[in-house]
Amino acid sequence: MAAEFKHTLRRLRGQISGWSIGLTLYSVMMVSLYGSIQEIEGLTEMLQSYPPELLAFFGNLTAITTAQGYMDVYYFSYMTVIIGIFVVSTGASLIVGDEEKGTLDLILSQPVSRTRLFLGRYLGLVMAVTLILLIGWLTWVLPPGSRDMGLTWVEFLRPFLPLWAELLLFGTLALFLSLVMPASRAAGMTAGGLLVANFLLVGLANINQDLQRAVEFTPLHYYQGGSAIDGLNWGWLAGLLAGSLVLMLLAWWRFQRRDIRLGGERTWKLPALSSLLRRRSTSGQQAQGQARS
Amino acid sequence: MNQNQALITQGLTKSYGRIRALRGVDLEVQRGEILGFLGPNGAGKTTTIRCLLDLIRPDSGTLRVLGIDPQADPVAVRARVGYLPGELSLEANLRVEDQLKYYEELRGNRTDSKHVRALAKRLELDLTMPIRNLSKGNKQKVGVIQALMHRPELLLLDEPTAGLDPLMQQEVYRLLKEARVEGTTVFFSSHIISEVEAIASRVAIIRQGVIVEEAEPRHLVNMAVRRLHVRFGEKVDPGPLDRVEGVSLVSQSNGLHATLQVSGDMDNLIKALANFPVSDFDIERPSLEEIFLAYYRTADEEVD
Repeated sequence: MAAEFKHTLRRLRGQISGWSIGLTLYSVMMVSLYGSIQEIEGLTEMLQSYPPELLAFFGNLTAITTAQGYMDVYYFSYMTVIIGIFVVSTGASLIVGDEEKGTLDLILSQPVSRTRLFLGRYLGLVMAVTLILLIGWLTWVLPPGSRDMGLTWVEFLRPFLPLWAELLLFGTLALFLSLVMPASRAAGMTAGGLLVANFLLVGLANINQDLQRAVEFTPLHYYQGGSAIDGLNWGWLAGLLAGSLVLMLLAWWRFQRRDIRLGGERTWKLPALSSLLRRRSTSGQQAQGQARS
Repeated sequence: MNQNQALITQGLTKSYGRIRALRGVDLEVQRGEILGFLGPNGAGKTTTIRCLLDLIRPDSGTLRVLGIDPQADPVAVRARVGYLPGELSLEANLRVEDQLKYYEELRGNRTDSKHVRALAKRLELDLTMPIRNLSKGNKQKVGVIQALMHRPELLLLDEPTAGLDPLMQQEVYRLLKEARVEGTTVFFSSHIISEVEAIASRVAIIRQGVIVEEAEPRHLVNMAVRRLHVRFGEKVDPGPLDRVEGVSLVSQSNGLHATLQVSGDMDNLIKALANFPVSDFDIERPSLEEIFLAYYRTADEEVD
């Protein structure tokens, strides 16, 4: 398992570095801008003059005069989607990517069980997400300007935990989908699409209260964002992690039972659907035959 | 399964949807033998090999590899087996030594690194090269090394010399023969009849998911029709050669050259040629396709 864990991190090191550098530059810029934004005269009045729908969609924009609101609006409200791109694409290709390249055959011909391979890689994904967020947290805490925000390092850390849990949930979803769908790209697009759809739904539900009921069944409803600075909702956090655990167990179960495909093979065994399509095609041909005769 | 059997399959079946890849494969390989596994594309060679490693699961039938059920304990099987896939894919971003190091780590670092270097030297492979810069033949060498590096008890090789130049093919044959001397069993699939003749002690032919023949390679070659070109030292009448059993005269020119078609053993023809002033002769080896055609023709005639 250690070999697979190391190998996964080695493969992801470029992406971890790239995302960390990008987030560092962004965080450092946002920390340095905090003081300037607070000094803008009439900022609250200006924000309040925005259309109420816009304010509702993006959350409480007028709260950016506080450190909590500032971090929520400019960082945590959309980092699920931004870092989610990396997590979803990595999750979708974590195992099936090797299968599609044809390298999994040789890896699994070594004395490593599917469980060890799966856990090694999954832990590698978890570690990659953790490292990126850890660096993200440090880049808020360490710059000198962060002292002006008046938050302790623990308060800075808190909102990263729900973000971590949310990212793991969607990454694990992508991993699970990759093991049941015909291609990793399809799994990545589906999981990514669900993430973006969920993000938009949460924003729209702030405008249209009728959508609130539906949003309650989606993971991003239980994402605290910047409000976690004041205190974590441990129930929500545990729920998100439990969701990841369930999806991980389903993915592991599926990986244990499925055949390893050769590179380039695509399968999607939906017997009911394929037999229905066959029947339709056959009945269509029969109808054409009858029409000709 | 007795102690002398390296692998055994009984009634192995495997379907991919409506395609029946294996329809009851019964196969036995004795310890220490080199068995060539032949068959046309799609006959079930790769599917059989992948079942032996638990990469895919058969629908029915039993199999044992070195006395172990691969589905019950795949790790124990893989620890004692070396595998070379037919479609070899490696990590393009790694160097050769990093790729091999990764496989060593998966094997618990129990591989002798001196042995790895010795194999690389014999196959003339630079371990420091990035894999993305390797030719198909050099990638195949990496595959051969990783299959042999832990001195396995059983080698499962799917087209082991694909992409290698003739000199390297000979080196791989030597490596396999040496492995056999050390007690390793070799089970390999191939399309190259000269390869099968060079190293296999026995051959199994698979057709449409069923083993249809097990024989010595020589017997297989003899089933096919071969062409013999004979050059005579002086003008002769090659007509009598046409009356030799299993021989037909295809053409002749000026009594100095004759082309003959031979089926079965060469013995009668060689004895008949002893009465002629032969200056040179050349035998065209049958291709695997011709052997298959000869075999299937025989099988179909038997059915009729």
